[in-house]
Amino acid sequence: MLEAIHLHKRYHQGEIDVVAVDHFSFRFPAGLTAIVGPSGSGKTTLLNLLAGFDVPTEGEVRLDGTVLSRLPEDARSEVRLKHMGFVFQQWNLVPTLTALENVAFPMMLAGVGQRERQARAAALLESVGLGKRAHHLPNKLSGGEQQRVAIARSLALNPPIVFADEPTGNLDSASGARVVELLTAQAREGRTVILVSHDLELARKAERILYLRDGRLIQVEEVRPTPEVPDKTI
Amino acid sequence: MEVLALVYRNLRARPIRSILTLLGIVVSTASMVLFLSFGEGLRRALGAELSSVGPAILVLPQGVEAISPGYPELPPDTVKRLEGLAGELGITRVIPYVVLTRGGFDPQNTFIFQGLPDGTSPKTLYPNLAVSQGALTPSPRGAVVGNRVAERSNLTLGKTLRLSPRISLEVEGILQPAGGLSDSVIYVPASAVHTALDTQNYTSVAVSIREGRKAEDVAKAIQERIPGVSAQTTGDVLRFAERAVRISDLVRFGISLVALVVGGLLVANTVMMSVYERIREFGLMRALGAKRGFIFGLVLLEALLLGLVGGLVGLGLGGLASTVVNWYTVREVGLALSAVTFRLSLFAMLVAVVLGLLAGFLPARTASRIPVVEALGRI
Repeated sequence: MLEAIHLHKRYHQGEIDVVAVDHFSFRFPAGLTAIVGPSGSGKTTLLNLLAGFDVPTEGEVRLDGTVLSRLPEDARSEVRLKHMGFVFQQWNLVPTLTALENVAFPMMLAGVGQRERQARAAALLESVGLGKRAHHLPNKLSGGEQQRVAIARSLALNPPIVFADEPTGNLDSASGARVVELLTAQAREGRTVILVSHDLELARKAERILYLRDGRLIQVEEVRPTPEVPDKTI
Repeated sequence: MEVLALVYRNLRARPIRSILTLLGIVVSTASMVLFLSFGEGLRRALGAELSSVGPAILVLPQGVEAISPGYPELPPDTVKRLEGLAGELGITRVIPYVVLTRGGFDPQNTFIFQGLPDGTSPKTLYPNLAVSQGALTPSPRGAVVGNRVAERSNLTLGKTLRLSPRISLEVEGILQPAGGLSDSVIYVPASAVHTALDTQNYTSVAVSIREGRKAEDVAKAIQERIPGVSAQTTGDVLRFAERAVRISDLVRFGISLVALVVGGLLVANTVMMSVYERIREFGLMRALGAKRGFIFGLVLLEALLLGLVGGLVGLGLGGLASTVVNWYTVREVGLALSAVTFRLSLFAMLVAVVLGLLAGFLPARTASRIPVVEALGRI
């Protein structure tokens, strides 16, 4: 299980200290958890800390007892590769790789054999409705299609945790709905899906919503009970 | 999709820039290959020339090297003293000769006269020589002409050659092509050159020794007995030539190093620019779980691939330029002065690859050390 304990992140901007995340603590259960807040509330910084992209000034991030935030950078990369999947708002795909190759990329890093990763990547693309677009480069795909490729990639190594940072931010409503549907489906399968968004309507699809303001967790709203599914976290 | 394919696709994604960078390496490698091929060519030509020389020892004035003889300085007395040592040192033949060069820097207008004692065939110095027309041994007023100089200057049997305003010689023989410097030499009686130069001195004395005698020992004995001379064996000449060629190799490599450094900086600049353009891409890879070493290797491979392909094309281009140079020098002086040998090819490829690695190291290090949040633009 992913757990944030008194997470605190302070930046220096010139001579001013800026607190981006202010003593945030939360245990992320399986299911879809949305983190919402206005712009500058610290959502992205919090995700950076939870995913191990950055280290906190104080506090720690634990993943099944391992203090992620104290691991060296390459070890954090290893943890991300094996236990986390990512869907970002933009710059989601490697531009010189086809959709299939983008999905297969984490598997290549993990040392999965070529034949196996090709087959799995093709199946994942099929599952997000992009079987026929497998050999297209990202610049030949629409924004919605690119996000679906990113979702397929996030599941390549079947990780227990998926982070989605404003995944519908650049999409029209139909494409956005399709993306959200795919993410909620992952949550229903027992994954911990952490959705960062400023869109409250989108956040309402989650089981719970964490409200952030000025880096502080000001409210946890349980929208609906977590469905009874096997917990995929390790 | 493998890492190499990823590197290749990235280079292809920016074709103009990749080609321009490649050109930098191609030109620097080709120029290095051509520069160094002269040293290899000289080694090969010298080896071939020396192997065609019959006598085992060359006696020269002290301080003069066999490959760069100047004005004749050996007095006739030296020849007499050498003949006097024949029985004791196992000397079978003493052949003094005098060399006169007429003309300028243009090889088309340069004539090399080698004056041999009256009645001496050039075959005694160069056993491989054979005549194609006329006589092999020049008479006291005659000349035997090397094949290339005969063709070049349109010399036929019976034509008159002017050695100096006072001395004219008749072409009495034309040699068969021997494939070396001797094709460009005109063999004349030593007396004619002596008159032209107004001296009785010789440029050098070739000494043949009895079978079973060690050339090094005889040469050493000659030097001990006759002061003021240096006796050089074929091995000595080769060793001296190797030293001289090696020094000139270093000078030429130094010159080509400038081109190599420029080529290297070009690759470093391109790869560094490419790294800055792809920071988000690297950030994404790191976010997905790629380690620093993966990104480092990816960028380094890109530079290495540029070095490898540039080196190969440069080597080909250098080889082509060497062929053109040889076509010219063979036509002019009968010698292939440039050679792209296996060891030169290997050296050129090694330099190109090291160039790629050095040029890629800093960009690769930069790419692998950018913090993920910074690379993803998520600050």
